[in-house]
Amino acid sequence: MTRLLFVKLLRDLRGAWERIVLMILALSITLVMFSGVFYTWGVTGREMARAYLSTNPASATIWLERGLNADEMAAIAVEARKQPGIIDATSRTQFTLQVQQEGGGWGPNPLQIFVAAPDDPMRIENFTVEQGSWPPAAGEILIDRSSFDLLKLEVGEAVVVQAPNGAPTSLRISGVVYDPALAPSFQEQKGHGFISAESLPVLGEPVALDALNIQVADQPGLITPSRDRDVIVATARDLVGWLQQTYGVAIREIQVPTPYAHPHQAQADSLLLGLLVFGVAGLLLSAILVATMLNGLFTQQIPQIGIMKAIGARSSRVLQLYLLMTLVIAVASTALAIVPGIFISRAFTPAILTLLGVDAESLTAPAWMYAVVIAAGLGVPLLFALASLVKTSRTTVREALDYRGVDRRGDISARFDAGLGRLRGLDRTVLMAFRNIFRRRARFLLSVGLLASAGGVFVGGMSTMAGFQASLDRERELRRWDVDVRLAGIDQVLADALTNLVADLPGVTRVEGWSTLQTSVIPPGQQFSVTRTYPDQGHGSIAVTVVPPDSSLMDPPPMLEGHWLGPNETGAIGISQGVAEDLPDIRSGDTIQLSIGGRPTNWRVVGIAESVGHGGGIFITQEGFEAATGVSQPNLLRIVTDNHDEETRTAVAQAAERTLTDAGIVVLSAASVSRSAAAGAGHMLPLILVFLGLSIAMSVVGFAGLASTMSTNVLERTREFGVMSAIGAPASTVRRLVVLEGIFIAVVSCMIAAIPALLLTAIMTGVLPMPGTFQISVSGVVIWIVVVVLGAALATLAPASQASRLTVREALAYL
Amino acid sequence: MNSNGLQESTTRRQAIAGRSSGEGLPLSEPLIDLHQVVKTYESPSQPFTALRGISLQVRAGEFVAVVGKSGSGKTTLLNILAGIDRPTSGAISVAGTQLHALSESQLAEWRGRTIGLVFQFFQLLPTLTIVENVMLPMDFVEIIPAAERRPKALKLLERVGIRDQADKLPVTLSGGEQQRAAIARALANDPPLLLADEPTGNLDSATGTSVLELFANLNAEGRTIVVVTHERDVRRYIGRQVMLRDGRVADGVQPEADQLEPAEVRP
Repeated sequence: MTRLLFVKLLRDLRGAWERIVLMILALSITLVMFSGVFYTWGVTGREMARAYLSTNPASATIWLERGLNADEMAAIAVEARKQPGIIDATSRTQFTLQVQQEGGGWGPNPLQIFVAAPDDPMRIENFTVEQGSWPPAAGEILIDRSSFDLLKLEVGEAVVVQAPNGAPTSLRISGVVYDPALAPSFQEQKGHGFISAESLPVLGEPVALDALNIQVADQPGLITPSRDRDVIVATARDLVGWLQQTYGVAIREIQVPTPYAHPHQAQADSLLLGLLVFGVAGLLLSAILVATMLNGLFTQQIPQIGIMKAIGARSSRVLQLYLLMTLVIAVASTALAIVPGIFISRAFTPAILTLLGVDAESLTAPAWMYAVVIAAGLGVPLLFALASLVKTSRTTVREALDYRGVDRRGDISARFDAGLGRLRGLDRTVLMAFRNIFRRRARFLLSVGLLASAGGVFVGGMSTMAGFQASLDRERELRRWDVDVRLAGIDQVLADALTNLVADLPGVTRVEGWSTLQTSVIPPGQQFSVTRTYPDQGHGSIAVTVVPPDSSLMDPPPMLEGHWLGPNETGAIGISQGVAEDLPDIRSGDTIQLSIGGRPTNWRVVGIAESVGHGGGIFITQEGFEAATGVSQPNLLRIVTDNHDEETRTAVAQAAERTLTDAGIVVLSAASVSRSAAAGAGHMLPLILVFLGLSIAMSVVGFAGLASTMSTNVLERTREFGVMSAIGAPASTVRRLVVLEGIFIAVVSCMIAAIPALLLTAIMTGVLPMPGTFQISVSGVVIWIVVVVLGAALATLAPASQASRLTVREALAYL
Repeated sequence: MNSNGLQESTTRRQAIAGRSSGEGLPLSEPLIDLHQVVKTYESPSQPFTALRGISLQVRAGEFVAVVGKSGSGKTTLLNILAGIDRPTSGAISVAGTQLHALSESQLAEWRGRTIGLVFQFFQLLPTLTIVENVMLPMDFVEIIPAAERRPKALKLLERVGIRDQADKLPVTLSGGEQQRAAIARALANDPPLLLADEPTGNLDSATGTSVLELFANLNAEGRTIVVVTHERDVRRYIGRQVMLRDGRVADGVQPEADQLEPAEVRP
């Protein structure tokens, strides 16, 4: 690079400073967006893993059929630690309490209690006590910090609870716990509490622990927990064999969640994948933006390139000049983007981590991520500008002399233009504007691509939301009941007797007795099941739903395979798509063994259904359930109310609970179905935030790109505008011409945007943590069309004014 | 690049440099030698032939004017001489270099060393000052040591009469001054051949006359000049006139014997 060329570069940059600034800003925005998302992705993943692992989660939990007292279990844990591959072991239990709400009556949200012996060393499944101390005294409870708002609790107050086997009793809240291994309460609509085994008598529960939590190493002698679930399952099975042989205990289930994965890992992975998809889309947008803007800048320089070539400049010298120009822009935009990207990440990451219930230890992204952002900031513009750079630098003197800001038109184009000209009643300026957008075809395609990418992301984001909302609506539509009343299931009361108790309550139009239980698949030849259930007993578990005969609350779901359950069909199960994905070897017609109520039962899979309404899981008929288990009492009453509003639902739930309790039935919870919808919304909130934020940023960049392109178009056609003025075109016509060109580009981009919108929606619908329906958001499409047309008009106003102000003399003297 | 490749490249550069100066040519050899040059442009409607078998020789030190009506092929001929266009057929040798053998980049380097180009619209780079515009070809070709480039540029500007405008931007100069600056730029690397395309076409008659006088003076100093022009008064300055008509050298149009040397126009 010669000194003179460097001087020329600086002066060219200064001469086109408005467009250079616009380019740098637009590049910076996309880079801020990408880096913000990228850092968030890295920090969220790291902090989530760190927080989860800081609790020292158990590799596996072995559930005994019956609990043993704390001393016996402690002795077993001591011996278990000596078994091959076992790093550590401890004993626990857990169950769910009802919580009395203000003004009496049991609240809709249960409280899951985790119990440990007072002398438990708390090495496994540990938590942080933020207020108070562990172990709490008998009659005291520590509450997870995310549960206070949900259950409306205060430290120091007493909370009235009822355990499955006990009577209503009061526990004093003695402190606050932070347990990042649990999903936050507002997402699960369930509280979490921690008590010592000394409080079990207070709750009326037997002083017994029935869970042996173990940490498993890959090999005996190692002290790092294994990441291999197969190793953990094999070691747990060996330990179970040893337990059965040594202590004669019966085993109910082995729970082996995914090693090193938070219960919301799938949700987080989906969220982070979504972030990355958008981040990469942002980067792609940035690349298109760079190509568009630089292409404009370079083509504007074509006459000067011609002169330089004419007086002896080689292509390599010209290439150096524009390569350096690109690099200057890339360096400036990268430098501008670094700090805002960090700020965005630091604002956004804690919000996501809070939604996942995790505290960040550090919000600083790893050093390699900064290196990647810098490499992307410098490399992507260079990479995407390279084709344009090489093409421009190879411009021959002849091409430069012939350059008129218009591509050579082919026969088809010429005929198309001629056809347009023959259309009667078409305004001449409109016609000209429409023809003009095709003059620089490469730039036109890039501008359209840029806006179409932004539109695709916006409509894709909105459609993903709409698809999820449609899924929720469909679920709501299929959920034809208003209140769920969960019963303890320990009283052998017939379904008819139970439903009759509730059917006459005011506001109730129909009651059906259903059952839902947790189940697990027992492998062939085994006596117990090995599940993926997490310690909260929710995540990773499989639910079985017992459908009553002649139910009017459930229509047969769409089938993917096989058929739906026949009326009163016994020995048959229908499984949902979600379960089928977890059991890839199972097909309709196969036989599987399920553990239901701790009892092995055999079933034939008759069909695989779509996961819509009624949740996922396994479905069986009431007849089939009775035949397999001998249990006839339902544990879930589903009530339809006359007015489906929240007030009626709440009144009916409370009335049903009182009536059943008065009749001696143990009610676990009675609540409006809105609670599960709230849980669903809690899972989706982070994604909504991500989509909206990124879509808006991308739109801004799209318009910046269009403004830059139009500015280039105007500059390039300076002489043409001069000629127009010379032959009498008023300034308003020139202005209208340029604005119309911008609007035409926007309209074409809307049509092209359908492709990325469909693709992105399909991808996001596939990776969502909750089932979504593929759907294009009509409101999203309409909003985008309005925004893009208005935005295009606004973005082209400045170049249009610039063009209309040109004097004939200025225009003709332009080089 | 291996040592052989480097050597080969260097040799080729030296070859371009040596031949392009025109110094190595025997005096009897023409500086420009065109043989049956045809140039046809492809267009969507139909091909257009701008030159139809032109054969022409120009010796070192000549001042030749190419004249003719619009569309007769004058500018095409000049562009072919400058290596801006390539002939569809025929052979061209300028200053001993067969132009068809050179790539675009080699042509650019060759132009920088061998010819000075002057355009109708001056074509100065708008963001460089006048003296910087003159120095730019020296930077590109690098045959003049860096320290000598500015003094030489200033000397050339003095030679064309605009030394006092050296540090101004082109836009602040009049058309005549810009054209003089363009001529100074054309002389930057001391090329043996000046090619000018309608150099007075955008100037008033007085300024145009002074530009032609400048060309005449340069020719008197031994510079070979080929100028494409519509200027009626050009005969006063040139040594020979070549008239083109419909892409051919017009028969029967010969320079006046008492003023011009005989043109070597091949049939």
